[in-house]
Amino acid sequence: MKPKLLLSMLAAFALLAAACSGSDSAEGDDGGSSGGEAASSGGLAVDIDAMLAADLDNCEPAPTGDPIKVGMAMDFSEVVGFVDIPGSKLVPHVANLINCIGGVNGSPVEVQVEDVGGDATTAGVAAETLLDGGAQFLIGPPFADFALPILQATDGKVPMFVAASTEPSLADAANNSFLVTFDDDGQSRAAAEWALDQGITRAFVFTQPGPYTGTNPDNFAKVFEAGGGTIVSSQTYVWGGDTDFSAQVAELSGILEDNEAMYSAALAFQVTALRGQLEGAGFSNITYIGTDAMDATGIQFEDNNEGIVHTPHVNIQPGDRNDMLLASYSAANGGEELESRGFMPLYVDSLLLGLQGIVDCGCTDSEGIGAAVAKIDGFEGLSGVITYAGTNGIPPKAVPIVQIVDGKDTVVDTK
Amino acid sequence: MTELIQNLIDGLGRGSIYALLALGVAVIFGVMHLLNFAHGELITVSGYVAYAMFNQGWSWYLVAPLIVVVAIIASLLIERVAFSLVRGASDFTLVLTSFGVHFLVSAMFVMFVGARVKTFSEPGWIADTIAIGPINVEVFDLVVIGVTIVTLLLTVAILQKTMFGLALRAAAADFDTARLMGIDSNRVIRGAFALSGALAGIAGIFWLMRAGNTAPSSGIDPMLKGVLAALIGGLGSMRGAVLGGLALGVAEVVLRSQLPGEAAALTEGVVFALIALLFIFRPQGIISVATAERV
Repeated sequence: MKPKLLLSMLAAFALLAAACSGSDSAEGDDGGSSGGEAASSGGLAVDIDAMLAADLDNCEPAPTGDPIKVGMAMDFSEVVGFVDIPGSKLVPHVANLINCIGGVNGSPVEVQVEDVGGDATTAGVAAETLLDGGAQFLIGPPFADFALPILQATDGKVPMFVAASTEPSLADAANNSFLVTFDDDGQSRAAAEWALDQGITRAFVFTQPGPYTGTNPDNFAKVFEAGGGTIVSSQTYVWGGDTDFSAQVAELSGILEDNEAMYSAALAFQVTALRGQLEGAGFSNITYIGTDAMDATGIQFEDNNEGIVHTPHVNIQPGDRNDMLLASYSAANGGEELESRGFMPLYVDSLLLGLQGIVDCGCTDSEGIGAAVAKIDGFEGLSGVITYAGTNGIPPKAVPIVQIVDGKDTVVDTK
Repeated sequence: MTELIQNLIDGLGRGSIYALLALGVAVIFGVMHLLNFAHGELITVSGYVAYAMFNQGWSWYLVAPLIVVVAIIASLLIERVAFSLVRGASDFTLVLTSFGVHFLVSAMFVMFVGARVKTFSEPGWIADTIAIGPINVEVFDLVVIGVTIVTLLLTVAILQKTMFGLALRAAAADFDTARLMGIDSNRVIRGAFALSGALAGIAGIFWLMRAGNTAPSSGIDPMLKGVLAALIGGLGSMRGAVLGGLALGVAEVVLRSQLPGEAAALTEGVVFALIALLFIFRPQGIISVATAERV
């Protein structure tokens, strides 16, 4: 390849990248926050307010203790890169803020990031690399394909927080694997209960058999029917792909009464596409309910989103602590705005929970940290209150039911 | 019966987009013997440019022609920086190169733009329907079918009535002989990539209108559909590509709608099984093309 041609190609690409990423700020969530003071089952590992107030240009003397090593095994692929990539940028920034206020008990926090490389083998290798580097606890990718090989590599002896995951099978406190948020059973149950509360008695689901894409609608249907509702149709689709639902709409046209709820784990653009096509077929009174995937893919910025209901993890509001933290990252990184804002507190809480385990156990070995993490009770993080004591690693967090009202996320209930 | 007619109309709309994609694949295969797995990346690149322009306040009326222009430029650029370097290499090398381009483009968007889906507005009329008795015909499907027919007629006119078309057809029939007859191979290949890019661009307009978003992996689906349709129709055959696209679109919609219950989730699998059956009984696809050694 001629150098001039290569340069011009890269320059064109850079211009396009700048044009595309420059508007990312308009895509972030503007939801709200759980707020609250950081609390812990033992002493406080990190004072969140002090951390947020840290001035990176004017830090306290650098902590001199043995470093606390944190490993991030992240999936940078297209599938979940939209959360793991920004998460892996924010956590090192938070470590810098913590170090700026003196570290944790005089020890600096060091974060090492490895890409799981899009396959199970590389995921295991990434975990080994992090463990060889001395990682005392890990922050892992959200899907089982790569999280399970990492658990095999740790042999269940090193605590791992699957930050952005809602996959219940990944929670296993006995093997030191912890979710940081509610699981799929929790969010689909909350959605079904909310629909029943609204007096909706008929619903249809869109499903793609498998974890997340199938378990959410399946559990919604189970809870909805147990509560007296009727599932009038179960349609299949390609999650993340289909936007032409004409075949499903043709079938639904003979079934719907235009008073149903539609539930799926579909991405935001899929739900609005389906809505448009159903409205085109004359169904304009359907209540659309989705999962946390709607927040991840920006339902707030879709056309025709009014009234759509979803279950995000964190509802960030301008000026709250999560907003301040993200602004701090942006200021320290040349104005870069992170994607998937609503998921970022889960990554930060993963870090804070691991650090809390270290403080609670007063130890540095992974097994001791894991045992302490499993006992955490009432930890007030950036994403809400987290308790592992008495659970299998799924914190019993409240699920916010959020509806788009006048174009903005509005919390209408909490389940 | 009503639902089946509805499915057929919906399937023709979807299949028309596949036909345009398949035609682009067939044009390149005809000239270079290259099964271009990077064809879908033309839509990925166009999608990101469209996203950038929507953020500048452009409307679909301005963005639509830009998508075609970008797809043509991207197609020519890919030919220049990738395929021209392996021209004359084995078919296997060409296929691997096209895979390389596909993965490289996708990875560059992940690295430099972000992995998150970038959404933009669909045109306001996209969900509008016209009721014909019990059948709801989407305006979108009518537009797609109409534009596809016009595009196909224009493509036929280019191939039948112009010197470039004559050269392209001669090269597709026997590239070496065509070169001996004085046809400029570089010009023909560049022209083929430009035509393929234009067809991908027109398909891309409708693909992106329907999707309302773009992502680093946006090229995979259109690439698969285009290549599959071209294979069904008979590799290298322009008419076959169109027939293959329409057949694939109709099969997808009818199967998804008619398979009972959750068996509809097997639509893709059933489509592939049908394609396998087709190749057992008719390995050359719907329309046979005489094979010739390419560059």
